[in-house]
Amino acid sequence: MRPRSQAADGEIVRAVLAGDRERYAQLVERYRDRYARYATRMLGSMDAAEDAVQDAFVRAYDQLAQCKDPDKFVGWFFLILRNRCFAERRRNRTSASLEAADGVAAEDRTEGVVETAERRRALQLALLELTPDQREVFVLKHVEGLSYTEIAERLSTSVPSLKMRMHRAYDKLRDELRDHT
Amino acid sequence: MSGHDFHPLIKQLLDGDITLADLPAELHAEGEAALRLLAAVDRTDVSMPAVTWRVMAALERRRRRFLPWLLAPALAIAAALVIWLRPGTPPPSAALVTVRFVLVAPEARQVSLAGTFNQWDPQATPLVRAGTTGVWTATLTLPAGQHQYAFVVDGARWVPDPGAPAVDDGFGRRNSVLTL
Amino acid sequence: MIALVAIPLTLLSMQQAGRGVIAQRLAGRVSPQIASLVEELGAAASARGLPIDPLIQKAIEGNAKGVPRERVATALRLVAMQLDTAAAALRDGGGGLVSDTLAIAAGEFAITAGLSRSDITALARTGANAAALTVGLRVAGTLAALGVPPAEDIGLVSVALRSGEPASSLLLLPANVQSEMAKGVTPAQAAAGLARAAAAQARHGPPPGHGGGHPHPPAPPHP
Repeated sequence: MRPRSQAADGEIVRAVLAGDRERYAQLVERYRDRYARYATRMLGSMDAAEDAVQDAFVRAYDQLAQCKDPDKFVGWFFLILRNRCFAERRRNRTSASLEAADGVAAEDRTEGVVETAERRRALQLALLELTPDQREVFVLKHVEGLSYTEIAERLSTSVPSLKMRMHRAYDKLRDELRDHT
Repeated sequence: MSGHDFHPLIKQLLDGDITLADLPAELHAEGEAALRLLAAVDRTDVSMPAVTWRVMAALERRRRRFLPWLLAPALAIAAALVIWLRPGTPPPSAALVTVRFVLVAPEARQVSLAGTFNQWDPQATPLVRAGTTGVWTATLTLPAGQHQYAFVVDGARWVPDPGAPAVDDGFGRRNSVLTL
Repeated sequence: MIALVAIPLTLLSMQQAGRGVIAQRLAGRVSPQIASLVEELGAAASARGLPIDPLIQKAIEGNAKGVPRERVATALRLVAMQLDTAAAALRDGGGGLVSDTLAIAAGEFAITAGLSRSDITALARTGANAAALTVGLRVAGTLAALGVPPAEDIGLVSVALRSGEPASSLLLLPANVQSEMAKGVTPAQAAAGLARAAAAQARHGPPPGHGGGHPHPPAPPHP
């Protein structure tokens, strides 16, 4: 899908390792938005997500020599970002989720979408009550649209264990949302 | 019902393995409620244009950490040099246009005009009421270009110009547009 | 990468001047947190060749309207994103238009008004030069703000741009659409009607009785 004139990830990684540091920006540019949404939904705040994505890219650069398969940079990078998101200390929940909600409200251009914005905000808040593992499987499936098989491959785990995690997440979300309506 | 978990079939519904039609009738309402939960998921794309610059700047800062502090800002300076010397077209001809703003607001005690041409300052440009009519006016000479504005009534109520094109202001209100 | 080796110390003041411009315009008009966000987004924007004025304006506006800080921050990030989209749209249009910051700002306005990235690219592809395209984008955004749907909007503005209409004519389009609307036609119909008239005029010259006038100047070559 990429135009032939653009370099493959592996080529860029090898160039950076050989000393062409500037080319790392190409990888950042290529993938920062792809994971921006995952980080935002995981952390409930765009500010926190931006910090996490930035940190992950810096960390990936530091550890670039340890990337076993440069052609699979993106999967390797995802795990670094994932670790960074999981390690995020819980910030002040209120301000974090306010940002997430306002992000929606600002982009809605039609009147009368307040209710939808409220429901989105309530769900994002409820998501933050899940364990990071549960939140992640929910985000990967229902936000990023991956199948259980794809998620299992990415996280090196099994589909049944993912489903168990997800089903617990569903129940917990239901409880959270019921308590707060 | 509180404290009960989702029925296993509802979970399959949420997973996308079955549809509402596959549910027994008594689970339909619960199924619909569950799907509403999913509909509240925020899938909007997120873009972080600032990250590229921030990452590369962070990498540069770390690389240069061993240099004396005097030279460290030089890198940011060099970047700034590129910024401020980037060529752009000269501004369009400095044409000035005289524009008359009018608002009909019989109940208002004061009306002012705030916009991109006066730093959105509600106190900078008061309108003048014509006698006892409810017609408030102000006449300004503005440079050619793109302007946004709104009227401020009684110091607190922001009101777009009813006769002008309007755009979302990003804060839940509308701004009027003036293209000169 | 920029070589550190021989950077003269006089550049220190250049950086301060750069930072100073944003800080100066925001002084006393926004909270420190917002000012710092504008500086950060502004630096990133500048590094990408994007104008910073829309960010500064939006921050000042939010503060003047008493909007909560988080909401202003969100709006600023949206502006930054829209600037990126506008630049990408111009890049797709070719002709080096993406180096013109006024055109990018005009594109950002058009997006705020509801036009899409491909609408902007379509106007860029008319071959208009940067100055004309900037006016075209502002006018397209204004027409969208009047309620003209994108298809009729871009249709009208691209006809005007392709025929090399001077800025003064382009700037009259919204008023012309408004007066047609006052007669009871929809914005779409008004715009479509004006586009047909403009296209006919471009093919056949002005209708009889409107004077010969001077011929339309050829569209200037793009940079």
